[in-house]
Amino acid sequence: MGLDKRTDLLQQGTLELLVLRLLRTGRLNGWDIMQRIRVVSGDVLSITPGALYPALHRLEERGLVKAEWASSENNRQAKFYRLTPVGRRQLEAERETWERFAGAIEAILRDA
Amino acid sequence: MSKRLWRRLRALVKRGELDRQLDEELRYHLEREEELHRAAGMSHEEARRAALREFGGVTRAKEECREARGVRLFEDLWQDVRYGLRTFCRKPGFALVAVLTLALGIGANAAIFSVVNGVLLKSLPFPEAERLVALFETNESGRETAVAFPDYLDWRAGADAFEEMGARMPAGGVLTGDEGPERVTGRYVTASFFRTLGVRPAAGRFFTEEEDRPGGANVLVLSHELWLRRYGADPGVVGRAVTYNGASWTVAGVMPPQFDFYGVNSLNNQFFIPLGQLSDQKWMHERDSHVVMVTARLKPGVPLEQARAQLEAVAARLAGQFPESNGGGGVRLRSYLDDYVGEARPALLMLMAAVGAVLLIACANVANLLLVRAAGRRKELALRVALGAGRGRVVRQLLTESLLLAAGGGALGLLFAWWGVGALLRLAPDALPRTESISLDGRALLFTFALTLLTGVAFGLIPALQTSKADLNDAMKSGGAGGGTNTGGRWLRSGLVVTEVALSLVLLVGAGLLLRSFWQLMRVEPGFEARDVLTLRLRLPDGKYAEAEQCAAFLKEVKRRVEALSGVRQVSLATGFPFGRASELGYRLEGRPEPRQPSDLPDAYAQWVSPEFHRTLGIRLLAGRYIEESDGTDSPQVALVDDDFVRRNFPGASPRDALGKRLRFGSEEDPWCEIVGVVGHVRQSGLDEEGRPGIYRPWTQLRRSMAVSALRAMDLVVKTSVEPTRLAEPIRGEVQALDRDQPLGNVHALAWYVEQTLAPRRFSMTLAAAFACAALALGAVGLYGVLSYTVAQRTREIGIRVALGARRGDVHRLVIRQGMGLALAGVAAGLLASLALTRLMSSLLYGVSATDPGTFALIALLLLLVALAACYLPARRASKVDPLIALRCE
Repeated sequence: MGLDKRTDLLQQGTLELLVLRLLRTGRLNGWDIMQRIRVVSGDVLSITPGALYPALHRLEERGLVKAEWASSENNRQAKFYRLTPVGRRQLEAERETWERFAGAIEAILRDA
Repeated sequence: MSKRLWRRLRALVKRGELDRQLDEELRYHLEREEELHRAAGMSHEEARRAALREFGGVTRAKEECREARGVRLFEDLWQDVRYGLRTFCRKPGFALVAVLTLALGIGANAAIFSVVNGVLLKSLPFPEAERLVALFETNESGRETAVAFPDYLDWRAGADAFEEMGARMPAGGVLTGDEGPERVTGRYVTASFFRTLGVRPAAGRFFTEEEDRPGGANVLVLSHELWLRRYGADPGVVGRAVTYNGASWTVAGVMPPQFDFYGVNSLNNQFFIPLGQLSDQKWMHERDSHVVMVTARLKPGVPLEQARAQLEAVAARLAGQFPESNGGGGVRLRSYLDDYVGEARPALLMLMAAVGAVLLIACANVANLLLVRAAGRRKELALRVALGAGRGRVVRQLLTESLLLAAGGGALGLLFAWWGVGALLRLAPDALPRTESISLDGRALLFTFALTLLTGVAFGLIPALQTSKADLNDAMKSGGAGGGTNTGGRWLRSGLVVTEVALSLVLLVGAGLLLRSFWQLMRVEPGFEARDVLTLRLRLPDGKYAEAEQCAAFLKEVKRRVEALSGVRQVSLATGFPFGRASELGYRLEGRPEPRQPSDLPDAYAQWVSPEFHRTLGIRLLAGRYIEESDGTDSPQVALVDDDFVRRNFPGASPRDALGKRLRFGSEEDPWCEIVGVVGHVRQSGLDEEGRPGIYRPWTQLRRSMAVSALRAMDLVVKTSVEPTRLAEPIRGEVQALDRDQPLGNVHALAWYVEQTLAPRRFSMTLAAAFACAALALGAVGLYGVLSYTVAQRTREIGIRVALGARRGDVHRLVIRQGMGLALAGVAAGLLASLALTRLMSSLLYGVSATDPGTFALIALLLLLVALAACYLPARRASKVDPLIALRCE
């Protein structure tokens, strides 16, 4: 793997958390998710499709999301992803961890 | 977990389908992006390119998606295997050398492991055999002895750590009857003996307690083997009467087949008779007659220490109660397995270690080959990395290749091992216990398999990590196969070679020490001439030869007839002979203070012999005379002693000074006898024995009470002018012409007995030497390989040196210096390791210290010479480098 391996690893968890969060409201296909990430995070997180799709497949492999083929808005077959119950629980757990972590960071930054 | 595995398997099976879906999914994404860009006003072509650019590597994303699904593992493995095989086929020389080297190492290990497994590890053929222990008494000087029967009874009554305890004693005699005369050896055993071992009879029953008492019925148990051979596996043999030593005995039962008590082939397992029937004999009541051997079974869960403490308490009590016989005595316990195979353990473990070291050297060698090869493949690997293979992926590929090599080595090694086990069994001395359980069995196969895997990782991992670390840019820039060496690789290769040399040195030193020991042993003067001597035992059944005179007359007649045979030079009769048997008896010298108790008398080997005995065996006369025909039953009692006797009892005196002194054996009934001659000392039980002095008495002067039993089992010692064993049949013919019922036993050349005592040493020495030579060869090849490689690498540098005026000699020295530097480092490390390790094998050495400076120096020199030879060729090649060609080829 290339030189950006380290950053990949750091972002991998974040990216997966983000994907799970986006899927909470319903099923989405890869392209939809990509658009929403762009909207949500602006250019802060430089996430490419090249990173997103492997992340989706990893989540599927771990049983956190489930994939199905369905018609998209432009009437073409696309692969849609949906949270599984396991994924939902994982999201809650991760979010708590994340919030605690983010809170701690924020507190430190405020004090400094 | 299983769910995930299922998904992976499904992914594997439906690979095509899933790949299509993945393509579809990504195409959808790209098309949507394209539409977006076109909507923003880009041309068709621009939009497509922008979408691809933003995507960030479609191929790699696909790879990662596949990886995420776990398909990759299997796919890659298969791909790596095919790829590996292809590369091997392209350079078969490398693969062949590697596989052969590994096969040698793995095969040797599997073979030796089979022996270790069969002898030391396999469980014994008794139920819960780990609870069986062997018990001994120790005397005041701490020496281990057999057990006095009354002590055994007290142990049995006084220690509750044991479930059962059984005693035994050797028995021997003659079976006669329709099946012909046969000399058999077996054991007197207590009824509890069978319960202790937990064996069940194959037919009939064992003894009852009633039979195991004085006056009990004459019953015996036959070995399965004897039952098969002598009685044709007749099921009706149980309850039948057989004639043993002239009396009628009823067969109570038959032992199970392959009864392995201290050896399946142990002659003492031919038959069993009740020991308890002898317990009205005087010596069965004496606490200083150490006559029985004891085996016991611990209660479940009771540790050996607890049993030891209990027996020690009993022994202490007995010592207080019977200070005369038991004062200062103790007990010794060890597991039955230890007692049985314990002596073989150090040699076997030494061999296992040696063969392990050979494998390590083989691994180092192959690792070096791989490193050299990897250096040539850097460009190829760099290319793979550039095309998107991760470092882990490259390591995995290289590891797969080394595992393939290991698998080849393992398969071929198994073939070697199969052949090796056969050879080992042929080579194994009779003294090696449990040879019948040695085979290439499941456990050995498992061991080989594990070893193969381990080997593959061991020699593959370091080169794989090292190679995959290689800097991409560097590799791509520096052109072809001969590209720049990285220092890490060079250090690694040097380190491996130094390790190889060091390991070889340790093995060579070990083998050298064993060789020296053997040589020392061969130089030991045994004190007799073993060449052209045949020995055989005449065992006269007691029923027929009740009186000493009858026996003597028969023996004299046998002697006369054998003397008349052609090829016979001299015949003598004796109660034993060197390396055969001898009685160990305590003796007194006239005028010396009486010891506190009889067991404190000094010991000597005692033999009663006919006048020709010493001349037959070439035992030197140092003073006085040999035993003569005139030393008859009624003439003055005389004895010969050896010079060891003189040294011990008359320090500083000459043999002549001992003449005329009087000695007698320990028993009250023994007469005083005059020393009339002094002969050379004879090693009685082995070349490496420290020895006891020898006392010889005329066979005609055997004490009345022991004459009959001694004369019923005399040895014939025959000096021949032809190959000794050729006389076995003529002698048998003469004996049976005299008495049809007379069997002959133990017919062997004397040299055979000597060889038997040397065989275990010869075995371990031969193997250790073979392994050391293999190590030396591998080490030399390793050194040669690394130097050749370095020379090839430095061709350009050498070319420049030569162009700048360096002479051939300088270049030659340059290479030699590098090689010998490695060798010296290896030798130094090896010498240090040897100093630390050879101590462990000191029990295997004789007449040489474990850190013998001579051996160490000689071996180091030998190794350096071999190293020099290994350096020579590469150095020559270097000195022949043509500067023009060298500079042009880059």
